[in-house]
Amino acid sequence: MSTDTQNDGDSGRLVMRPLNRLETVSEQVYAYVLLIPAAVLLGFIAFYPLLNTLWFSLLGDDVFSPDPFGEFNGFGNYADLLAGEAQLPQQFLDVGLSGSFPFVEMGTPFLQQALFVTLAFAIISVLFETLIGFGQAYVIDQDFRGRRWVRVAIIIPYALPIVIQAMIFYLMFNPTIGWATDLMQAIGVFGDNPLASSRDSFFIVLVADIWKTSAFMALLILAGLQSVDRSLYDVAKVSGASPWQQFKYITFPIVLPALLVAMLFRTMDAMRIYGLVDATAGCEQVPSMTCLVITALQGSRRWATASAVAFLTAIVIGLLVIVYLIGLRGSEGGVA
Amino acid sequence: MSADDEHPDLAAMEQAQEPDLDRGPVEAWAAKMISNPDRAYRAMFYTATVFFLVTTLFPFYWLFMVAITPGRELSEVGALTPGGFDPTSFITIFTRLPFHRYVFNSFLIATVATVIVLFVASLAGYVFGRLRFRGRNPLLLLVLVTSFFPPAAFFVPLNRLFNTQVAVLEPIMSEGTLYNTPYAIFIPVSAIFLPLSIFILMTFYSQIPDGLEDAARIEGTTRIGALFRVIVPLSAPGVATAGVLTFITVYNEYFFSSLMTDGRPENWAPMLEGILAFQGQYEVDFHLMAAASIVAVLPVAILVIVAQEKIVSGLTAGAVKE
Amino acid sequence: MARVKLENVTKQYEDVTAVDDMNLEIKDGEFVTFVGPSGCGKSTTMETIAGLTIPTDGGIYIGNENVTRKPPKDRGISMVFQNIALFPHMDVYDNISFGLRLRKYDQEEIDQRVENAADVVQLEGMMDRMPEEMSGGQRQRVAIARAIVRNPRVFLMDEPLANLDAELRVHMRTQLQRLHRELDTTIIYVTHDQAQAMTMSDRIAVINSGELMQVDPPLTCYNEPNNLFVAGFIGSPSMNFVEGQITNSGFESEYMDLPFDPETQGVEPGQDVTLGIRPEDVYLEPTRNQAGTPSKTYDMVVDVLEPMGDEVFVFLLAERGIETSADEMGAGQLLMSVEPDADAQAGQDKQIVIDRDRVHLFDSETEQAITHGLK
Repeated sequence: MSTDTQNDGDSGRLVMRPLNRLETVSEQVYAYVLLIPAAVLLGFIAFYPLLNTLWFSLLGDDVFSPDPFGEFNGFGNYADLLAGEAQLPQQFLDVGLSGSFPFVEMGTPFLQQALFVTLAFAIISVLFETLIGFGQAYVIDQDFRGRRWVRVAIIIPYALPIVIQAMIFYLMFNPTIGWATDLMQAIGVFGDNPLASSRDSFFIVLVADIWKTSAFMALLILAGLQSVDRSLYDVAKVSGASPWQQFKYITFPIVLPALLVAMLFRTMDAMRIYGLVDATAGCEQVPSMTCLVITALQGSRRWATASAVAFLTAIVIGLLVIVYLIGLRGSEGGVA
Repeated sequence: MSADDEHPDLAAMEQAQEPDLDRGPVEAWAAKMISNPDRAYRAMFYTATVFFLVTTLFPFYWLFMVAITPGRELSEVGALTPGGFDPTSFITIFTRLPFHRYVFNSFLIATVATVIVLFVASLAGYVFGRLRFRGRNPLLLLVLVTSFFPPAAFFVPLNRLFNTQVAVLEPIMSEGTLYNTPYAIFIPVSAIFLPLSIFILMTFYSQIPDGLEDAARIEGTTRIGALFRVIVPLSAPGVATAGVLTFITVYNEYFFSSLMTDGRPENWAPMLEGILAFQGQYEVDFHLMAAASIVAVLPVAILVIVAQEKIVSGLTAGAVKE
Repeated sequence: MARVKLENVTKQYEDVTAVDDMNLEIKDGEFVTFVGPSGCGKSTTMETIAGLTIPTDGGIYIGNENVTRKPPKDRGISMVFQNIALFPHMDVYDNISFGLRLRKYDQEEIDQRVENAADVVQLEGMMDRMPEEMSGGQRQRVAIARAIVRNPRVFLMDEPLANLDAELRVHMRTQLQRLHRELDTTIIYVTHDQAQAMTMSDRIAVINSGELMQVDPPLTCYNEPNNLFVAGFIGSPSMNFVEGQITNSGFESEYMDLPFDPETQGVEPGQDVTLGIRPEDVYLEPTRNQAGTPSKTYDMVVDVLEPMGDEVFVFLLAERGIETSADEMGAGQLLMSVEPDADAQAGQDKQIVIDRDRVHLFDSETEQAITHGLK
């Protein structure tokens, strides 16, 4: 029998040579080399455009030129957006100070201001999705016959393309086809044409989102539930804890970190809502922050303002992420 | 509950403990429930299960009712009943428009994007999960920050980039630009959905013992070989999770899908454009849109049915726990 | 088969030096054990030989070939790991044949070699088991089969028995020795367990804080330790140490003195030295004839007895009331081992002698050995 070094003539092939060289470089260099594909992809598609957009956001608008950017404008766009003076059909933020309680007044209705409508949407939707998702996760975490199919049924809305989700709810609330408007009008919640009213449209978008995304929350929370050591429940039962007490003292604290991570992802998503709005009520009715970017881009060719809105959106999301990270640090086993 | 079955002794102890629970001011009803709490909880559980099943499945059922209603009788659709019966919508969608081509486009774009994401994220996840090097945390943060931005923040520069004529591309692309090609969709969505997969795979790869990687290298693989021959196969649930999530997200993606082509199927317009194409200029064929939606949802629905157990176990073992 | 040479090998991490200027030559077919406390750098040293760690400085030679910057797969080595490291997604056959398949051997030869290797470690009939279906000992044998199937030039074993239970460990120890005899391959073995080192190796390399303390056959390390570290590390229970000073009449310390002529022992009056004596070289007065050259008699008190079955450890105190620490032997304490039938009870006053031929003297400052056995 020969010793094995004589037998690896194969490794001399051309492809192997750079790989062989990689074998003996330091961990530092090796790490950077392997990051090249990710860096290229993210560099071209994310970092480069973002820097570009940042630069655009500092320019003025010039809607009539083929490349609609004007002179350098500093933070002018940002100032206009925050003061409610942007040249857009809807404002990002439009509040003034007033002399009497509550000392602020709305320049335009609450639901017509991008920041408020998006925040309201994010908070309400994430709240309901968390509660419903928790309930769903609890159900599909149990052992029972047919659990596999119940699980599929509960998760499946998550896999639904936005355009189809939007269409289902658009049709349901369409006054001629759907039945939901009649129902809502009968109980006095909706006006004549809900898809043309800010308040009713907001509600429709909310319901559509909760329906679909609770499933995503359920999925992530289920993952958290399944990581709970089952023997803890035996311990709890031996000491006489009721199911509610088991939930309160065992399940909830252990799932909390996973729950917060799930909520973080969902909040980031909800703050960027666009497709669902665009395909149901439209951006005029529910001007979310991303809607504002698109309106400025396509409607009025105010690309510089659009860029500024995009960056403001990222900043708002960044602030929310920081809030969550503080929350996560507080809960045990948080993200490092 | 299964715990009872596995540990009859524990269940017996539980019974013995129960009288203790009656302490304090408890109403008669509650007392009754407590005396037989299992039954009360079981009833609650079945109620909840039925409620969730109805609420999640009803919209699909209703969409089907719309799809089998003839176009003229759409206003007759009830909450539970169709306005008529005409299943030919499911054929019309393929004859009036090549809807299958749209679905194929989406399927192809999602598949390619998934492959790219899994490959790139595997390398990056390996680096972030297993190697010690300077600059790890800042780089990881940079990756995370990209997901703060709305897709729209990338759009203007990308739109210009993809509409720029690049001489090298001319032999391959008709006009030397990326607009109206599948690249214009899967390149940006790959990049935008990359961070999530990096995070999932990072957690999985970091849990594989060092000894296995060392053993593979001693036995004859390169370092990269050890990654793809040992670490990746051993992280199968994580890779499956990242892959399925990426596929679903890309297939469902709205923003770039609606903006990066002119909407014609031969120009790689995705499924989304196909559904919207049934919105004619004068009339909207909602029943066709509904039928098309049902067809378009099938690939992802099948994926969920097949892969749901993997996804759940994948997320359990990694991603969220970190 | 090949010799292995380490030349000034140094491995530095950001804040620590794991291996410090190591020079070592391992002969063809030799079984050498790296032994030392955990964190001493023995595993890092082995990793540099394997190519899993690239040394900061120095060179590594296998055969006559400089392999310092060669990837592990091209070094002609194989390795058995502490956590066994079988690929959990492959069955026994695939695990053993992994390296051969990567090197594109033809199927016939792979089968032949796998069969032979399985034969050596007695794994016949288990080829399609998965690792999770096997016991710890069986897995370990698969790992060894995987290592020998490629006919490596050098065998590396990193604590291969650490995760096995005590009984199995003893059994595998003899198996490995038999294997070494059959294969006649160079084996480098890492362990923190000096019993494994003593029983199996041709030579032991004792390592501490990244530095080589002594490389010698086991009995040499035991009988003639180069320094205090080796003296304390090799042998169980540990050697007794008594810190003291050389005077004109010999060794003197707080509780114990030993007369000799400093000149003949190569020490000078005033020098700080540590006297070392192994527990089995201490005798009760009635059995003083068993010592080669019995010393003077010392009066001691029996503190605690630890019967081990074949022998009894007797913890002695120089006088009543000496404070004892739970962690280590202090001044005035002495450990001896006696026959099980020896007459010793806790609390008794006993007279003992030590064997002057087996006394070690170390320089307290440099910790180097001065003499083994008084002349």
